[in-house]
Amino acid sequence: MGLAARVIEEAGVSTALHSWIPELSVAVGSPRVVGIGYPGSVPFGAPGDAEGQRAVLRASLEAAAGLRVPGERVDLPFEWPETARVPKPRRPPPIARAIMKRPWLYAKLRAGDIP
Amino acid sequence: MIDGFRFLDLASRGVMRAWLEREPAPGGTPWSPIRRPLAECRVALISSAGLSLSSDTPFDQEGERQNPWWGDPTHRVIPRAATTGDVRIGHQHIDPRPGSEDLDCLMPLRRLDELVAEGVVGCSAPRHYSVMGYILKPAVLVEETAPKIAEALAEDAVDLALLVPV
Repeated sequence: MGLAARVIEEAGVSTALHSWIPELSVAVGSPRVVGIGYPGSVPFGAPGDAEGQRAVLRASLEAAAGLRVPGERVDLPFEWPETARVPKPRRPPPIARAIMKRPWLYAKLRAGDIP
Repeated sequence: MIDGFRFLDLASRGVMRAWLEREPAPGGTPWSPIRRPLAECRVALISSAGLSLSSDTPFDQEGERQNPWWGDPTHRVIPRAATTGDVRIGHQHIDPRPGSEDLDCLMPLRRLDELVAEGVVGCSAPRHYSVMGYILKPAVLVEETAPKIAEALAEDAVDLALLVPV
């Protein structure tokens, strides 16, 4: 998404990433990065928690609007509770299933050797 | 400071760390200043959850099953009025259950409407967007898809696009 943000920003539209892996978003050169300590399946919070989702979205937009330096990152003060369930896919995605069958593919993935 | 690796399994963490160590930082960060206060901004959301309207072509999950190194690099438009029941989730690397129960977990269109009503945000764009976040070779995304989205955002006079990787 950081790469897409760069293209959009170059076209003249301001962008920000609301990112649960802010390290990665910064590394790819995203113009503005707002870190959120929630799992990727629920970047704005749990289903049904309208108040919590609104607080996160508001904080994210306000933080993005406050960034003034290209590539800057700010983290939001929201953390997924330690005791809360972390949503996971129901079954491993195709690449994980392929690696389970042929474990040597993991080294290719890790090395960025994409066929 | 947030530890973005906290929610990753060990194998994914290893892949991400290797990428971070290997990938050179891109030169120069593009920058378009936000032109007006947030309370006057037109905001669009772009989710990488592989969201598509039920009436639209879904993201190609079967293609990824056939070739796990490939991810659908196209995009879909999600109208401002879309609700949970209008949208399906085509990303196989996330848990689709929370977003299927409440779209605002992933793409908070109702929450954005509320912030507009409160005067925090100027307005919600007529068109929002989704891509599919699992793309190992990003050439088509960068060279074709992102420019199309950028053009549409400019047509809609969007001031700020909030991209939401999942």
